[in-house]
Amino acid sequence: MYYKFSGFSQKLVGAVASAAYVPQGLKPLVSTESPALIFGTPTKLASDSPAAVSYLGKNKVPDLQKLFQKADGLPVHLKRGVPDQLLYRTTMALTIGGTIYCLIALYMASQPKSKK
Amino acid sequence: MAHQTHAYHMVDPSPWPLTGATAALLLTSGLAMWFHYNSTTLMALGLLTTLMTMMQWWRDIVRESTFQGHHTMPVQKGLRYGMILFITSEVFFFIGFFWAFYHSSLAPTPELGGNWPPTGIHPLNPFEVPLLNTAVLLASGVTITWAHHSLMAANRNQSIQALTITVTLGLYFTALQAMEYYEAPFTIADGVYGSTFFVATGFHGLHVIIGSTFLIVCLLRLIKFHFTTAHHFGFEAAAWYGHFVDVVWLFLYISIYWWG
Repeated sequence: MYYKFSGFSQKLVGAVASAAYVPQGLKPLVSTESPALIFGTPTKLASDSPAAVSYLGKNKVPDLQKLFQKADGLPVHLKRGVPDQLLYRTTMALTIGGTIYCLIALYMASQPKSKK
Repeated sequence: MAHQTHAYHMVDPSPWPLTGATAALLLTSGLAMWFHYNSTTLMALGLLTTLMTMMQWWRDIVRESTFQGHHTMPVQKGLRYGMILFITSEVFFFIGFFWAFYHSSLAPTPELGGNWPPTGIHPLNPFEVPLLNTAVLLASGVTITWAHHSLMAANRNQSIQALTITVTLGLYFTALQAMEYYEAPFTIADGVYGSTFFVATGFHGLHVIIGSTFLIVCLLRLIKFHFTTAHHFGFEAAAWYGHFVDVVWLFLYISIYWWG
């Protein structure tokens, strides 16, 4: 089997024996680098845009991670300080107040004949 | 020996289980007060404390996971099991109402005229708004899958857009169904047809609202960079819940709207 270098597929391919008497030689390869593209308007590269393009807000997660991992001994539901305390106290007040109201209402509802 | 040597999450002491249980007490006794004594104060208190408990409890879970890093792989696995089991329990909840529907509709009593739909009931045309509702929910399944894949491919713009469309579709379904309820020629008081129709579709609608709320929270968290390409279980849980709601609707549509 005789082989020749195919300029088309850039690989060795089978050839007839007579090709051995007319060696193709090594021609210089065509440059595969494409010429610089010319656009009508100048192109803006992605690397030229600002590093942290703000789309719908900045990433505050690392700051919040630092805040919530502070070693201040606070439980997670109070970790943010005053707003957490306000919410917690309001919830607790409504819960305890509601329970008392509920017990009174149930006591009154359980009285025979004296319906509220 | 100040740090833990296992991968599990030992939670900080929290008041929310207590407030949640108490809120349930206020809700139930509030219902009794409303039914028998025409007073809505206790029920309103119950609803308010339930909402406040839910918001703060889930807020704390976000803090523990995204900000404190407690959700290791074993912890996430447990959460996955939990969500699957919860959805399974909801499936059984709906099976009950489907059982009731088939019980009444497969052997209609003489009081109904011996046929289904009962005599005098004009059911809704399944090929009008109900068919649109089906398309809306199926489309939301597609868009949420798109959002998930965009999230995993770190494509922020597309994931936000796709999740926004999903939420919009969910709200659109709710609006359409509310309009259908208003325009329906029969009510919940119209015999067993009305009861089975409105209880089954009503609970489904409530679950759509719950699912939409879950997705809105996910959208906010997505915008705020809480999710990573590999760790976003909250989003996956919302997606599972959305698909479950969609499947329930398909069963409702086939059974009650089309066959019924």
